[in-house]
Amino acid sequence: MISITNLQASIEGKSILNGINLDIKPGEVHAIMGPNGAGKSTLSSVLAGRSDYEITGGKVEFLGKDLLELSPEDRAREGLFLAFQYPVEIPGVSSTNFLKTAINEKRKYHGLEPMEATDFLKFMRSKMEEMEMDKSLTSRSLNEGFSGGEKKRNEVFQMAMLEPKLCIMDETDSGLDIDALRLVSAGVNKLRNKERSFLVITHYQRLLDYIVPDYVHVLYKGRIVKSGDASLAKELEVKGYDWIKQEVEAAV
Amino acid sequence: MIFTEQIKADFNLYMAQAADDDFTRLRQHAYSVFEQLGIPSIQLEEWKYSNLRPIQQGQFTTSCVSKLDADSLINAGILNKIVANKLVFVNGCLFPELSIWLETDERIKVCSLATARKEHTALFDTHFGKYIDFSNDGLLALNTALMSDGAFVYVPEGISLQYPLMITNITDATEHNLFQQPRNLIVVEKNASASIIENYLAVGSYPSFTNVVNEIFVAENASLEHYKVQRAAGETYQTNFTQIHQLANTKINQVTLTLDGNWVRNNLHFFMNGQHCNSLLYGLYIPDGNQFVDNHSRVDHAMPNCYSDEKYKGVLKDHATAVFNGKIVVHEDAQKTNAYQRNQNILLSNTATINTKPQLEIFADDVKCTHGATIGQLDEEPMFYLRSRGISEQEARRLLLNAFADDIAEKIKIPELVSILESEIERKL
Ligand SMILES: Nc1ncnc2c1ncn2[C@@H]1O[C@H](COP(=O)(O)OP(=O)(O)O)[C@@H](O)[C@H]1O
Ligand SMILES: [Mg+2]
Repeated sequence: MISITNLQASIEGKSILNGINLDIKPGEVHAIMGPNGAGKSTLSSVLAGRSDYEITGGKVEFLGKDLLELSPEDRAREGLFLAFQYPVEIPGVSSTNFLKTAINEKRKYHGLEPMEATDFLKFMRSKMEEMEMDKSLTSRSLNEGFSGGEKKRNEVFQMAMLEPKLCIMDETDSGLDIDALRLVSAGVNKLRNKERSFLVITHYQRLLDYIVPDYVHVLYKGRIVKSGDASLAKELEVKGYDWIKQEVEAAV
Repeated sequence: MIFTEQIKADFNLYMAQAADDDFTRLRQHAYSVFEQLGIPSIQLEEWKYSNLRPIQQGQFTTSCVSKLDADSLINAGILNKIVANKLVFVNGCLFPELSIWLETDERIKVCSLATARKEHTALFDTHFGKYIDFSNDGLLALNTALMSDGAFVYVPEGISLQYPLMITNITDATEHNLFQQPRNLIVVEKNASASIIENYLAVGSYPSFTNVVNEIFVAENASLEHYKVQRAAGETYQTNFTQIHQLANTKINQVTLTLDGNWVRNNLHFFMNGQHCNSLLYGLYIPDGNQFVDNHSRVDHAMPNCYSDEKYKGVLKDHATAVFNGKIVVHEDAQKTNAYQRNQNILLSNTATINTKPQLEIFADDVKCTHGATIGQLDEEPMFYLRSRGISEQEARRLLLNAFADDIAEKIKIPELVSILESEIERKL
């Protein structure tokens, strides 16, 4: 699916990603954990194509293409989706119009005709049912006045609508109470299948109780310093990040 | 001949055949005021960004003559799809072939101003020139002295227009330079209501100068929707003065869309002369190229318990320049006034210029007034968010600019006008 090799990135001359290596195969769920400031959001932003960062080294292959060469919109059209840590509110842009535009631009990219308005509405209705989305959310302007939980659920709903191949979720659990966390995770689990891969970024282990990963990686100071299976997350919950930090400092 | 000499010659020509009556004396007086004041110069504080020198030095012909036929006017895009009452003026003179009347109530009086003076003399005399004051304004004086024709609209007590009334003014500058001075008089009586569109278009590549004056009177409990749609493309100069005089319990929505036109200066004045007036002043300007757009407004809260809400938004591209100057005057008696004003601008290039200035003059103590102005670019965050969902940069910009314009568009109750707005935004991108 995606293969990240020695990826390095900096902002304003400050190096933040210092050689990331990561391979995700179709259908796999990888979790990236790490203390605040480790570079988790930077990694997701760089993969989604945010232009603030300078790529200083390495490469990323996504479904056979050089990801770093693609514009953000082409990355999305190729099947990459980033669920934002802080989704922006866009007053005046209706959720429905936004999703229709996004879907049709993707179809155009793949040489398909735009979806008929009625087909689109049918499709949207079925996805809303499946993801248990309230009508009141999609009838409003994009994320406008949404609570934290509603924003995150809307990210997962967009994921369902756009049917990406690789979903990157940046701290989707942050700011959620336990009920919202359950709803969001249930949504994500419905979208899991043999083809679709996930990169779940989180600071806390609790999300991974609901979205059980195949692999867990620990990011620290812009490097993956430890990898394991789901049990690594449990270990981190008990021990915190300090022992990892110490291990890394000791090795230097 | 420079402009003022031309005016003088035109005025003498007019006087030679004018009747000896009050109307003529008013125009004579207006002309003498104009002779004193002249065309406003940039030395005047209110005109410091709006340079009319090219007009002062230009040569213009005042003439109704146009070789345009109905078909070519329709092709010029006179909004023929709108189902509305229509009055069409070409170079300031009525063009009856394209005018349409749909109302069935014969008490409503709509005609050209010239006709109104003859056929509805009492009404004309009651209202004409009663709401504007030209003693300090050269352009108002000039219009009063030498006006072309315009629309006369009288909606009697208790009557609602069933259809909007669209007053279209077309500048035909295909043959020569052109000067015209449209003058509209609109009277909405007690408990009446109307929706009126002022629509400006132009054809031809010669320079033109259009000096418009609108006098609007809205009596107790009446309501008015008033739209100004400015799309007079080409070498056009337009000064547009609108005075709205409203009495108690009136509700007015005024929306100004300045979409095309080389040089546009709007003056929108509201005078709230009764309690519980409710007025909305909304506007959108999207100049590009070397366009210049100046929106000056003044809201006089002369009586207590009135509400005014002003919001002007601009999207500027290329070398465009815009001015916003909004004055709110709360008179001593106008307690419990609520007055709001915002001006928001997006600059799409770093060669575009906006000058924005709010002015509050408050002489009452129990009032709520706020104002604010913003100038910025399209935000990066929403842009990236949309693109990360597969939406192209161009399409994302279109969505965001439409969203920016949305709260203005929301106030437009006529769908055809909204779609004009959307397609103009599309075209300008
Ligand atoms: N726009 C930025 N400008 C300057 N420094 C930044 C910017 N974004 C992130 N950083 C810095 O990069 C480091 C990693 O940040 P981030 O990727 O957000 O970490 P995480 O998501 O793991 O908490 C931090 O030290 C942060 O201060
Ligand atoms: Mg983060």
